[in-house]
Amino acid sequence: MNVVPYVIGILILLIVPLFLSTYWIGLVTRFLIFALFAMSYNIVFGYTGLLSLGHAAFFGTGGYVIALLHLHYNVNLFWISLPLGVLVPTFTAALFGLIALRVSGIYFLLVTFALGEMLYSLAWNVKWLNSRGMQGITGITLPDLAIPGFTMDRTWYYYLVWIFFITSCILLNRLVRSPFGTALVGIREDESRMKAVGYNTWLYKYLAFVISGAFAGIAGMLFSYYNYFVSPKHLGISTSFLPMVMAIMGGLGTFLGPVIGALVFIFVENFASIFFPQRWPLMLGGLFVVIIMFAREGIGVYLWRILKKVERRFGSIKS
Amino acid sequence: MRWFIINMLNGVSYGMVLFLIASGMSIVLGAMGITNLAHGAIYMVGAYVGWTIAVKWGATFGLGLLVGGLSAGLVGLVIERGLLRHLYKQPNEQVLLTFGFVYILSNLCLWVWGGYSKAPFTAGFLDSSFEMFDFAYPKARLSIILIGLLLGAGLWWLQDKTRLGAIVRAGMDDKETTMGLGINLEKAFAVLFFISSAIAGASGVIGAQLMGVDTELGMSVLLLGLIVIIVGGVGSIQGALLGGILIGVLDAFGRAVFPQFAMFIMYVTMIVVLIFRPTGLLGRKI
Amino acid sequence: MEVLKVEGLLKQFGGIKAVNKVSFSVEAGEHLAIIGPNGAGKTTLFNLINGQLSVTEGRIHFYGKDITNLSTHQRVHLGQARAFQIISLWQKLTVIDNAMLTLHGTKPHRFKMLRPTKDFKEVFNQAMETLRTLNLWEKRDEPVKNLAYGEKRRLEIGLSLAMQPKLLLLDEPSAGLSKGEGSDVIALIKNLKSDITALMVDHDMDMIFEVAERIIVLHYGQIISDGTPEMIQHNQKVREIYMGIEH
Repeated sequence: MNVVPYVIGILILLIVPLFLSTYWIGLVTRFLIFALFAMSYNIVFGYTGLLSLGHAAFFGTGGYVIALLHLHYNVNLFWISLPLGVLVPTFTAALFGLIALRVSGIYFLLVTFALGEMLYSLAWNVKWLNSRGMQGITGITLPDLAIPGFTMDRTWYYYLVWIFFITSCILLNRLVRSPFGTALVGIREDESRMKAVGYNTWLYKYLAFVISGAFAGIAGMLFSYYNYFVSPKHLGISTSFLPMVMAIMGGLGTFLGPVIGALVFIFVENFASIFFPQRWPLMLGGLFVVIIMFAREGIGVYLWRILKKVERRFGSIKS
Repeated sequence: MRWFIINMLNGVSYGMVLFLIASGMSIVLGAMGITNLAHGAIYMVGAYVGWTIAVKWGATFGLGLLVGGLSAGLVGLVIERGLLRHLYKQPNEQVLLTFGFVYILSNLCLWVWGGYSKAPFTAGFLDSSFEMFDFAYPKARLSIILIGLLLGAGLWWLQDKTRLGAIVRAGMDDKETTMGLGINLEKAFAVLFFISSAIAGASGVIGAQLMGVDTELGMSVLLLGLIVIIVGGVGSIQGALLGGILIGVLDAFGRAVFPQFAMFIMYVTMIVVLIFRPTGLLGRKI
Repeated sequence: MEVLKVEGLLKQFGGIKAVNKVSFSVEAGEHLAIIGPNGAGKTTLFNLINGQLSVTEGRIHFYGKDITNLSTHQRVHLGQARAFQIISLWQKLTVIDNAMLTLHGTKPHRFKMLRPTKDFKEVFNQAMETLRTLNLWEKRDEPVKNLAYGEKRRLEIGLSLAMQPKLLLLDEPSAGLSKGEGSDVIALIKNLKSDITALMVDHDMDMIFEVAERIIVLHYGQIISDGTPEMIQHNQKVREIYMGIEH
């Protein structure tokens, strides 16, 4: 495996804040958070082939854990928020997985959608889940790392997110190249053959669903600190749609596809929100339709092919 | 007793709207294997068009219903002929494509009709109450129940008794053979999708009597339709009817008893059905 | 040693009894062929034995253990392996990936999440040996869909064998193969170790008479005849069903 491009990418992300304004640092932070969200979705959909329409349920749950700790218990200590921010979404995924995986195909889609909307509805209606007098929870502040003499700011927060992003990339990459990961692809391509050679496919799908949910929860946790605010819509379909678009746009089932998709998405979204904010959903829907019809393999795959051609060109020069 | 009847009627009338929504989705899902997530958005388009005709331009409700249904049918036809039919062997892509249209159509409606929701409206002659037993009940709601029953009968006839229904069922089983027999499956699919979308649009106008029209309908109606399908079972009109009425009645009584959590009754029902009978109460294997 | 015992198996679809009160048992090392006209219930029977379908009535015993309610993957771990009528391989994956994925299925480390598959050298070596034996090592990086039909069939059966099963279920192994390719399959079955039991369904009578020691004839889901190839050849009922056999 050629590590050079990855190292370059990691370094770029590392030094980028030194050259950018706070606004742009915020944008890159947002990119990393959504790239993680999209990568998590890629596990359950891209690799395992399970089309889930309720992935934001776990993302939003991660965000709400942080927000609720802040709102009701005045807890801002990262070392308390972090384990909860990971465990609660994981537990939610474990529970939802049991329900959703009782069915397959279209039903799975419908059920994951409905479960996500159920959480949305819960967050909308239950007073305890909202700041006084409004929908959602505001006033979330950047995490306190309890390091003496250290104050967290937007730039340092970017680095915190960076650490989580890189760590998650490494873990997910290992997962995907492991026997477990290859089994997921086997299930996507032909589940009945997998059963016929000895795999307990339900268990694999369940684990993929839960792991996927866990990483989505981490992304959601990081999102709430970045956004200072969580709302019910972060649990519902409008947010579930995002990692799907990003993963498909960048290349479903490829490792870095979701990252590329997130990159393109965040910057197009930023551009659109400045010039035609009212028509952004229309553009998004249109873009999505175009990609499904004409570029289903994603931009990421085209880029990879070009890279391979370049490699071959250089290879032939060497020999 | 009166309380019981009123809530029952409320539940059944709302349930009929749910049935209309779910039956439209079920036709395409059961007969063509397509999960049309844009069904709610098409419902919304029909409702807005109906509103424009019946309220804004002051024409009759009936005309609004007709034009709303037809224009929605047209939208569906365009989507199917232009795009969906190229994706027949790829169910995941189909679903995703229709989902993209939820955003497109919702935003277009927002653009054309603006962000303020439209209040419920109905036909002039239905805008009063019917004296029954010892209370007065809105005629509009009663007419919904009636229409629901009529449509249900019509759809069942279409599904089980007509050539079109048989063609589509054959096509679902074995496309090559059906086409080899000279039957124009493409045309049948197009007609079916048109019918499904037209029903969606008409349901939009009918439902507008209870729920009004707004730009969130794309998603909210989709969700309702999906829950009814999960509960009632896919692929049959009977399932959509049972699911719709059940959810409608539970919702009505739920709202009467604990209004804050009425929404959850739907979700709880769905989860219970999933645990004990995953294919839905009257589900048929697709 | 009784490997498989099937008692009163019934599988009903609506009004149709695809498998109708079938009972038989198989001893270790036997090569048993199941024949019958199309629609006789042969593949359904395999689906019941291997777990793709659940029985309506009846019981299945494998090495004395009642496996009637076990799922397919559980039966695989007890020692079953199956080659399918319609070739079942991961078409988009490469030959070597197909081999690795198949072989991992019965290995405990198929659940490992943190080490790359390549690290599991033992499985890789086993895959390499298997592919070399099948003459497919050179094509290991080709997606399976690019292979010739005969090569795919060879790969599928070869991989089933590499799973080191105790009971091998071969569903129409010679379907679509030329004479030459068919004889490869015959050789493969003849060379099976003596402790491997083979159950096969096929229509190629030449092959069946060459490799099977015992034949069961199915018709409309019921056993018409059960005996040695000579007995079957001379059975009146069977001849009626199979008009036109030369032998």
